[in-house]
Amino acid sequence: MLKSKTFVKKTRSGGVLKIVREHYLRDDIWCGSEVCKECKDEAPVLQEHACIESDLCSYPHYLIPDTNVLLHQIDILVDPLIRNVIILQTVLQEVRHRSAPVYKRIKDAIHEKEKHFYTFTNEHHRETFIEREQGESANDRNDRAIRVAAKWYTDHLAKKTNGGSLKVVLLTDDRANKEKAEQDGLIVYRCEEYIKSLIGNPELMDRLALQPDDQNEITGSKLLFPEHLPLSRIQSGIKNGMYLQGTFHANRDNYLEGKVFINREGEEINEVLLQGLQNLNRAVHQDVVAVELFPKERWVAPSSVVLQDDSPNDEDADEDETENNVNPIRSFDYSSVLKPTGRVVGVIKRNWRPFCGMLSQSMIKEATRHLFTPADRRIPRIRIETRQAANLVGQRIMVAIDGWPKNSRYPNGHFVKNLGSAGDKETETEVLLLEHDVPHQPFSQAVLSFLPQMPWSITEEDLKVRADLRHLCVCSVDPPGCTDIDDTLHCRELENGNLEVGVHIADVSHFIRPGNALDQEAASRGTTVYLCGKRIDMVPELLSSNLCSLRTSTLRLAFSCIWEMNHNAEIIKAHFTKSIINSKASLTYAEAQMRIDDSNMNDDITKSLRGLNRLAKILKSRRIAKGALTLSSPEVRFHIDSETHDPIDMQSKELKETNSMVEEFMLLANISVAQKIYDEFSECALLRKHPSPPPSNYDILIKAAKSRDLNILTDSAKALADSLNNATVENFPYFNTLLRILATRCMMQAVYFCSGMDSDFHHYGLASPIYTHFTSPIRRYADIIVHRLLAVAINADSTYPDLMDKHKQTALCNNLNYRHKMAQYAQRASVAFHTQLFFKNKGIINEEGFILFVRKNAIIILIPKFGLEGAVFFDHKDKPSPRLSFDSEGPTLKVEEHTFRMFDKVKVTISLDASNIQHQRIRMALVEPVIPGVSVPVPESEPEAKKPKLDC
Amino acid sequence: MAAVQVSEAEKVYIMHGVRDDLRLDGRGCEDYRHMEIETDVVSNTDGSAKISLGHTDVLVGVKAEIGKPKAMVPDEGYLEFFVDCSANATPEFEGRGGEELGVELSNTLYKVFNNRQSVDLRSLCICPGENCWVLYVDVLLLQCDGNLFDAISIAIKAALFNTRIPKVHISEDEEGVKEIELSDDPYDCMRLNVENVPCIVTLCKIGHRHVVDATLQEKACSVASLLISVTHRGTVTCVRKMGGGSLDPESIFEMTEAGKRVGKALHAPLMELLQKEESLGKKRQKVGFLG
Repeated sequence: MLKSKTFVKKTRSGGVLKIVREHYLRDDIWCGSEVCKECKDEAPVLQEHACIESDLCSYPHYLIPDTNVLLHQIDILVDPLIRNVIILQTVLQEVRHRSAPVYKRIKDAIHEKEKHFYTFTNEHHRETFIEREQGESANDRNDRAIRVAAKWYTDHLAKKTNGGSLKVVLLTDDRANKEKAEQDGLIVYRCEEYIKSLIGNPELMDRLALQPDDQNEITGSKLLFPEHLPLSRIQSGIKNGMYLQGTFHANRDNYLEGKVFINREGEEINEVLLQGLQNLNRAVHQDVVAVELFPKERWVAPSSVVLQDDSPNDEDADEDETENNVNPIRSFDYSSVLKPTGRVVGVIKRNWRPFCGMLSQSMIKEATRHLFTPADRRIPRIRIETRQAANLVGQRIMVAIDGWPKNSRYPNGHFVKNLGSAGDKETETEVLLLEHDVPHQPFSQAVLSFLPQMPWSITEEDLKVRADLRHLCVCSVDPPGCTDIDDTLHCRELENGNLEVGVHIADVSHFIRPGNALDQEAASRGTTVYLCGKRIDMVPELLSSNLCSLRTSTLRLAFSCIWEMNHNAEIIKAHFTKSIINSKASLTYAEAQMRIDDSNMNDDITKSLRGLNRLAKILKSRRIAKGALTLSSPEVRFHIDSETHDPIDMQSKELKETNSMVEEFMLLANISVAQKIYDEFSECALLRKHPSPPPSNYDILIKAAKSRDLNILTDSAKALADSLNNATVENFPYFNTLLRILATRCMMQAVYFCSGMDSDFHHYGLASPIYTHFTSPIRRYADIIVHRLLAVAINADSTYPDLMDKHKQTALCNNLNYRHKMAQYAQRASVAFHTQLFFKNKGIINEEGFILFVRKNAIIILIPKFGLEGAVFFDHKDKPSPRLSFDSEGPTLKVEEHTFRMFDKVKVTISLDASNIQHQRIRMALVEPVIPGVSVPVPESEPEAKKPKLDC
Repeated sequence: MAAVQVSEAEKVYIMHGVRDDLRLDGRGCEDYRHMEIETDVVSNTDGSAKISLGHTDVLVGVKAEIGKPKAMVPDEGYLEFFVDCSANATPEFEGRGGEELGVELSNTLYKVFNNRQSVDLRSLCICPGENCWVLYVDVLLLQCDGNLFDAISIAIKAALFNTRIPKVHISEDEEGVKEIELSDDPYDCMRLNVENVPCIVTLCKIGHRHVVDATLQEKACSVASLLISVTHRGTVTCVRKMGGGSLDPESIFEMTEAGKRVGKALHAPLMELLQKEESLGKKRQKVGFLG
């Protein structure tokens, strides 16, 4: 039967279009129940004995959720307990329209066999299709369609079971809908009512998302936030320039401050500062918001206080007090640093995800409402309702936000799942992977199916097309314990007196073919993530640790980059080829260093290493002469106990000459390859650039140097490098390193990009006009793409459309940049966690450190021995603050009589504060210089209650 | 125009019949042939009607689009006409054969309908000087069996009656930028007032008398005809003489009077019919083109 659906639509040019769609109805859509004999369904999904034990429905029943129930209570519906659910097409379509993530989750649930979820295409069923009636809104029509379908099921099943016990239950939270359904004689419950009635599953209750009805009870009627504007007004406001659209970034250190990055081109203002809860107006980190700029006279400078939202539970009352604390700080502003300031007028798109964190239990024992503190400090605390708070204390849990009403201090959310107990290594690793969006599930079968068959060996075919370099004396130099060896080197003297140097990179692109599931998975992961004692691979282990790993005395496929050089390390000829190599030795940095230093050793490998080392030194000095920066960041290594996997010692990473030797040749290979692929494909070469930072980034560095009467020039990388080299202070050898650490913080992030979409290729840090990543295809996806491009350039492989599509490549680059950033953060978080573990075992330690930054109410201290950074606070709630005066020109902070300057040497005690299991923290307290009432005595007494932070 | 060949003897026969108020098919001089009307036949128009008068078949569709009002009358919308003479109707229309007739017909339709006496053009105004509704009236001739003007005019009146224009709302922000917003309820629409829409009555002079709704044979016997557009009150809004022959003033007067009478009598049952059809609503069995 044919029906037509008619609707009017506005076209882009402002016209009005009437659209008529044909809509076919059928009578062969089955009900999907095992009971029904009439429907000729071959594999009915819904079970005959659909048993969920419930006080309300003692009979077997199927559930029909309406759209809002599905949208808001998806966390409950996907629980294994809930089975035999009929998802109506009307509902599914509406969900798809309104929330892609929920749609995906429900689709996954439908595909899961054990869940017995059935999609009923009621819109195409002859008896359940309804047309919209006059005066009926689209929503009302959909509600009616749901009721009609539920009614049809009720009647259909009653007929089939001869009035038997099988029934359908409609779940809706809409009062009007419920009333109408009751009039139609349907069994209908509110979602909450139904879930409460389930026997023996109290934890499901906690996952109920709060409904607007309930929210009124929770908070008083006092309006805390201004109303958000409707989307239509926001859109027209953005169009005429009254509002600006951007992504909101909450400040990590100060919960009352945030920034909105305006992502529109051609806008002179690209960053808007927001201060105060009212102006933040319920924006959550990463939301896309509309902001209104204040007039210039209301602009303020970003405050440099560190504020954490530690107000007691549940109460909204302490609001004013917190605000007051901020005001005095706000009063001393400097007009020179005023930033465009504004307020959030509306949220265009929420970017909420489930957040990991811990429960802060309510003071009142029996209370069911608790605050949840997310692990990410940029996320506000979330109010959830749970009756198992006692069980959840000390556990890492996941919580989703449901909404943030304007009369509530905190957003409302619900419990999603329990990850395990806090402080537990497994749990914490899981948390930081989740928080940094690192894909870490095991590889799927589809992905694994594209792996080569074992046992694998090199074929005749390979021998024919590849250069046979098995005779060359290649070796690899890596950190100890490295199993994914992706680079090897060789160096030999040629007959004409020149040197031949080869860099041989694992030929990963031979195994990962474009477009298959393995390739897609690797592209999505983007990079291998190294955590302390754990590695999350980008490609399955068979490749990363076996077939692609260039092990000793094993034939392996490689992509070789071979130069002919003279003894001054000048390249005479470069040559790229796919090859077969046989590594003669896998050395560690230390082993290689020993061979080079040991004059008794004169075998081929050692000679090769010496040659390489000599050339590397020339290359390095030439690079530095060109203005490459040597920067520094404190890196630490943990000595991990082999039994318990607890860190037993930590030390800063030590760099050997051989480290820099390998690095030098990798840089050379990367630059050569970058030039080659850019020459060949000027529009679609994947390159890496490092933009020079804006001059203002260096302000802090210049100020810091000035405090020691040194001058740092930042006009060019070369000037910076030279002035950093000259910046030394007598009797203070660590000063230069500190300066370099500071300089590192001034830098921009290096990024991948597609050459066709950008004109600035310069790599600032390496002082190279062009650069890419070629040398680590096992752990970076960018290198795989570069391998493919190079392979096409030398006619060793065929191309494919996506490789030459600059838009697709740009999209890929964006993902890679994001994954790299996240991997870095995850790595740092992992180090921070292990640092905590370390100090947990150590107790309280006194250590020397240096002031890295001076803030208005704190100093940030770096402990060189551990590469550890932490803050000493000078103000706290329960005690009167000491006299503080901050001068941003210095910057200096005067506490009572003592003035702290940057790079001052201080002594602090470090300990792990495990008293608050919710947030284990490294505490630092001042020991020297002694300031009465502020510093602590040297003995191992409990340090004063300060709120130190660990930069992660 | 499509014509038939009629012999002298046939002509005499027809003329004598008309003199005695008896026509070939048994009608009187002021009678129409059997007429069938159906509205809402084309779903993707905003209003449509199909009429068959004898064997003359005409389909009219109305599409409403947003356009700019004419500078002279900023607060009015307007109508556009296009007549497509399909080669289905007669082989003569093949290629560009029907073009001339189409232009002639549409020119007449402009004169008759596109004025504020016939259609309330002000109601088509959305925003004076900026936006108005333009009604595109497309006429498709499916079959020609004489008296095209009358059939087309009735079909247009029925189609305009059937027309539903989506309601729009003008929103204005602080900057004064106007935006047209559409109601999301497809039933929320505007109807046209078709009370004053005239119908055309064509009177053919045959011998000393005149007939309405002439068949092709009758037309062949006539040298001149008068086209009169009449409203439901009997007001004549437009008169046009067609054909090569001459008409004396007295017979023009007589024919005008007859046209007024016939036209007035035509409107009432037409409106009644349209309203009756509409009251059936969705339950109405649609006939369409195969009925």
